[in-house]
Amino acid sequence: MKGLAPLFLGIFGTFAFSWVGLTVIPNWQIGHLNPQSDEEGTDIYPMPQSGMVQQGARVYAANGCIYCHSEQVRAEYAGADIERKWGDRRSAPRDYIFERPVFLGKMRMGQDLANIGARAPAEQESPSPGGGGSPAGSPAGAAQSPSPSTAQPKTQAAQPPESAAQQQQPATSPATSPAVAGPSTGIASPSPAAAPAAAASPGAPPSAGPPWPEQTAGLPPMYSAAWHHVHLYSPRSINFDSNMPSYRFLYQARRISDARSSDALQLTGSDAAPEGWEIVPSYDAKCLVAYMMALNQSHPLKDVRSTGAAAAASPAASPSPAPGGQPPK
Amino acid sequence: MNESTPPSEPRSGQGMDYSEIADVQDVHAAVQREKREPRVGREPLSIWLIAVYGLAVFFGGAYLGRYSGNFSGEALDPYGGEMPTMKKAAGPQGAQQAAELSPHDRGKKIFAANCQTCHQANGLGVAGQYPPLAGSEFTTGGSRRPAMIVLKGLTGPVTVKGQKFGAAVMQPWDKTLTDQKIADVLTYERSEWGNSASPVTTEQIAALRKELANHPNSFTEPEILAAPDDELPGGAPAGAAPPKPGEAAKPGEPPKPKE
Amino acid sequence: MNPAGIPLKEPSISAAAGDTGQLERALIDASTRVPVLIFYTSAVAWLILGTLFAGFVSFKLHSPDLLSDISFLTWGRVRPAHMNVMVYGWASMAGMGTAIWLMARLCRTVLRYPLLLVAGAGFWNLGVLLGVGGILLGDSTGYQWLEFPSYAAIILFVAYTLVASWAVLMFRFRRGEQIYITQWYLLGAFLWFPWLYAAGQLMLFVVPVQGVLQAAVGWWYANNLLFLWFGAIGLGTAYYMIPKVIGRPVYSYHLATIGFWSYALFSSWTGMQRLVDGPFPAWMVTASIAATILTLIPVATVGLNHHMTMQGYFPLMRYSPTLRFTVFGAMSYTVFSLVGVLISLRSVARYVNFTEASIAYSHLGLYAFFTMVIFGSMYYIVPRLIGREWRYGSLIKLHFWASAYGIGLMTLMLLAGGFLQGSSMENPSLAFSENVETILPYLRGRSLSGILLTASHFIFAYHFGLMLFGLGRKSTVPTFLNPVEAEGAGAH
Repeated sequence: MKGLAPLFLGIFGTFAFSWVGLTVIPNWQIGHLNPQSDEEGTDIYPMPQSGMVQQGARVYAANGCIYCHSEQVRAEYAGADIERKWGDRRSAPRDYIFERPVFLGKMRMGQDLANIGARAPAEQESPSPGGGGSPAGSPAGAAQSPSPSTAQPKTQAAQPPESAAQQQQPATSPATSPAVAGPSTGIASPSPAAAPAAAASPGAPPSAGPPWPEQTAGLPPMYSAAWHHVHLYSPRSINFDSNMPSYRFLYQARRISDARSSDALQLTGSDAAPEGWEIVPSYDAKCLVAYMMALNQSHPLKDVRSTGAAAAASPAASPSPAPGGQPPK
Repeated sequence: MNESTPPSEPRSGQGMDYSEIADVQDVHAAVQREKREPRVGREPLSIWLIAVYGLAVFFGGAYLGRYSGNFSGEALDPYGGEMPTMKKAAGPQGAQQAAELSPHDRGKKIFAANCQTCHQANGLGVAGQYPPLAGSEFTTGGSRRPAMIVLKGLTGPVTVKGQKFGAAVMQPWDKTLTDQKIADVLTYERSEWGNSASPVTTEQIAALRKELANHPNSFTEPEILAAPDDELPGGAPAGAAPPKPGEAAKPGEPPKPKE
Repeated sequence: MNPAGIPLKEPSISAAAGDTGQLERALIDASTRVPVLIFYTSAVAWLILGTLFAGFVSFKLHSPDLLSDISFLTWGRVRPAHMNVMVYGWASMAGMGTAIWLMARLCRTVLRYPLLLVAGAGFWNLGVLLGVGGILLGDSTGYQWLEFPSYAAIILFVAYTLVASWAVLMFRFRRGEQIYITQWYLLGAFLWFPWLYAAGQLMLFVVPVQGVLQAAVGWWYANNLLFLWFGAIGLGTAYYMIPKVIGRPVYSYHLATIGFWSYALFSSWTGMQRLVDGPFPAWMVTASIAATILTLIPVATVGLNHHMTMQGYFPLMRYSPTLRFTVFGAMSYTVFSLVGVLISLRSVARYVNFTEASIAYSHLGLYAFFTMVIFGSMYYIVPRLIGREWRYGSLIKLHFWASAYGIGLMTLMLLAGGFLQGSSMENPSLAFSENVETILPYLRGRSLSGILLTASHFIFAYHFGLMLFGLGRKSTVPTFLNPVEAEGAGAH
């Protein structure tokens, strides 16, 4: 090639072409999305992240969770994500408009986390020293209507008043035996997933949740905040085959002062703290779990078809401003 | 293949050869034995290669044409299906269900969706960051002050229950939440976690919203403290028991906020 | 001249010592010595560090309790540290070292403004050090391939502008009319990289784009880095080394031209296929998949060009380390592209997305292609800078085979494991934990390949160190991989 000018022009042009085509034009198309809302201007989804959730996202970035976990649900024609109950619908660009950084992820050495907050059990009220906690998680397969649990007899503080009408009762009894000292989910980190979340997931037949993961006895309810803490502290106590690293550096051991604090982790076996000590989450750990509990894309989006009986079963559309029941994602 | 110093005998192995003398020639031996700088030949293109190009362009182009969903920004589905629209079902249904929930329970949902990440599910907030609502003098006093805070937000330092907060900013909710929703969430906060203060009605919030219409910015603590700590006008009669958690609106109670 | 026989400044030689072409090349080589060796030495040091990180990353996937609970050694931090050290530490610096030498040779002028390069290398090293330290201490940005915190990224960018300015200046002072193929690629690389880096940093950190576009920009950046920075340097180097070593012209100018422009045009549009079926407008992903299919054009073109150039000279690979590494790399480029096309088609991506297969793809490109070509170029260039030949042909052989088997095994394990992992994910009746069980043996296999690669890199680093300390062979004959049986069997 002789001419310098054509060379430079070509080098510049080919780069500019791809830059414009793959970043500028998409930015023009989907770079300025607004959250959707219903007619009254409420029921806004998604909401911006705030508070501990935002800090939790930073902890997620700093510790490289993205290298094993994805946060996107593929459509039914593209993968088995929805069949695995990882979501009711595929993810859409609008789900991520307030995330920074966006953790779409490219690897699934561990589960997809897009709706991990939605899979949490119904919300507990306040920390209950009795250790109770709701019966094991009601994943996407749950609730039809968020009818207040007036019908539910209020057993001790353990029973959350808002347990959705149907709960997932796995074969093994809910692990949160009151015998376990210390509360299960009464951790400072919010568990917004709650009934609204359960309510927001239409579709899957109520009690036929996935046959796994098994609720291991002695552990907090699946995907509750307490469960996340135990999972982060000692993944192999929950699933022996897991190759997730343990994040003990996010936790601190300290002496029990008067009584076990409400934050303390429920650990069993060799992981349990020695007599007189307890393991509590650091602020970073609480933020991380808050972030995960806020990961919830079950709110229906106009852009995307939800699976299953979308029409009837989307009570989420209404009373709760809570989209999938969560504050910001 | 040219070597300027051909070896005198075949070298059977490699290794240090101390008998060689380092002299000027050796420094450039590598350069000297080098072949000339690369140049380019001019063979013509083969027809088979052109065929390969054609195939690649064809398949690439066909793929692009078929699966691009018209290059629209909304078509997430490559198979060209039209965008499915979510039925706005559950409208009336939802309202129905809403009617069955007490303001306290509705408020609880609103709280869970909007307030909980900062003020926490137990209303205790986070030390130094987010003030508690449980037992807070702002929450449990008159309804005016908390309503002002929720409507317009709060910036700057604030002291609650003797502790200072100031790190975080509370956003205004006037654009995001309707009057009823604000009323419900305040009702919930004022009757939860051991708080027991009067419920708040939609009309009260609507009136306050009008009153504050010209106040564009968030409030600061001095402004809040300057406002009287009284109930907003027009609420439920004093002494009405706030709905207990978990109870639906019982018939016979004083009229609860209307839809 | 010092006793070791290495020229310190311009060598004083008599006019009779060879034709002017040789004299010119000798002077050029002497002038490039310090900057290129600085880049190479830094690169080799980062290679060792990155390899250690890599071993850790690989082993921790099947032995997760290894050294766990230490915050700066947690898998999620060491993994990006490994990647960034390899990408910005080893690959970029070794690539720049080679590119500098090639630019000097092809511009046919002595290296000017060496301080720009020395400063550039210094800042670059600082940037990488701060960046990797930052990642390990928890400052990772969370964007893949751009994890360096901003304080490191800005230093890297400054370093880079120094190097790019040098390249532009050298080019300005070049001699000769024709611009050889390698220079197109190198010029492209030197210009594309800063634009790419600036665009990535701008759109993700300075004026951040919204939502999923961050992932789109991130993967656009990553793939473009792979192709327009590393790929361009790799292909340019191969276009120099192959004809140079065998002494034959490149087969066809037309093929080279078509190869270059189609490469620039199509490979820059790839990237989005890594996000297939993600929350994006379909056309973005499809455009990238189509572009990946179209990259078969440059692959076929460049492959044919090299093949025809080498026609009849393949036996030389038995002797010349440079040729062997370079041809291995060039062939791997073809394999890498084919694998890329395969795993990006939607029907295959369904089974391969979110699995280790994409790791195999990245390593094929960065290691099997780029790193091997760079190793070949280092085997060629370093003797010319130091004035000594590589000391042990056996070590070079060991290096080659350990690397070749290592990357071959890794690719096999990860592709096979990836497919199985994907298939098991696609089967909803299998619990997710079975997924992990499925891939575990392949992860162990990958660790085995990691041991091979680690050995290979330590061997190379040792050998390079020997050269650096002046312990190479003093000889007029290059170090061959196998003994030369008879005269005329191919000199270097």
